[in-house]
Amino acid sequence: MISPLKLISVSIIVGFAFIIGGCTPGNLGSISSSLNSRYNDEQPAISGDGRWVAMVSNRYGRREILLFDVQQQSFVDLPGLNREGAIADSPSLSRTGRYLVYISSIQGRPDIFLYDRATRQSKLLTQGYRSWLRNPKISPDGRYVVFETARRGQWDIEIIDLGPNIEIDQPDGIL
Amino acid sequence: MKIRVQHSIISSILTMITLTGCASYPRLLNFPFDSNGRSLNSRSSELSPYIAGEFITFISDRNGSQDIYLFNAKTRRLIDLPGLNAFDEIALNPTISEDGRYLVFMVVKQGQSGLYLYDRTTQQKRALIPQIKKEIRNPMISSNGERIVFETANNGQWDIVITDIRGNPLNMPTNNI
Repeated sequence: MISPLKLISVSIIVGFAFIIGGCTPGNLGSISSSLNSRYNDEQPAISGDGRWVAMVSNRYGRREILLFDVQQQSFVDLPGLNREGAIADSPSLSRTGRYLVYISSIQGRPDIFLYDRATRQSKLLTQGYRSWLRNPKISPDGRYVVFETARRGQWDIEIIDLGPNIEIDQPDGIL
Repeated sequence: MKIRVQHSIISSILTMITLTGCASYPRLLNFPFDSNGRSLNSRSSELSPYIAGEFITFISDRNGSQDIYLFNAKTRRLIDLPGLNAFDEIALNPTISEDGRYLVFMVVKQGQSGLYLYDRTTQQKRALIPQIKKEIRNPMISSNGERIVFETANNGQWDIVITDIRGNPLNMPTNNI
């Protein structure tokens, strides 16, 4: 024979468990560590070796570029990349994910930036470029950047050469 | 005597120009503009360029249909892609593996839209993931040719999917088509 007092306490405990656990969808996991979230995750770019995926996400309450490590299944920090008051857009990765090219703006015009994960610094690539531009992509070795330009009044392709003196992005142990 | 001094000054200026002039990077590369549509840029629009190794693939409507083109930056020539483009299809977002073998792109076509793979060694095009229930956009192949990422519309927002070269999602949480 179960006493009514016991029944009430059991139902209260079960109710609490539903309140605490019931509203989190099981397939999303924790926000910080899973590939997708309940917000927009867009513009995926995969590194040449297939290990890193850069994306534009709204999951932390602002539109920013995130970098996901497919092997470790977690996000890694990109210190200095996402700035206050600017939107970073259109990420593209080199072979091992060392270089990340993206679009941002300083004075209301789109510019192409190159972020180096080794030095944690962003470099402006299109200083003084006088046309609208979009969709930058970096080559796997990290030397060339292609993008669309409006220079001739239509969308055309332009290529930036970063020069022979950059450090080529290649896996460790290959010369 | 005077002529010789002048000559030496001019030659030193010339060497200075050649030494400093070539060393300024980053710089824009000059590819010839061709109004006949046999080069990288034409009178029509060129869209969504992608570079891997010596290959640059992009979209152009220079032949009256939105098609995929492949340009070799070393030889500065377009490469033929037999069987890839069709007049009743709109092609979008081409990317290529670094060895130049696989192209991954979107095709919009009545009834058969989806994510496509083209193999340059067999010259065959096939649908990897047909776009039946969910919208797909912005696909990309990793330059080693092993993985593909794209966006899919899921529960009213865009999600990211990572698959292998055959279109099977990698086994990890929240990675569903």
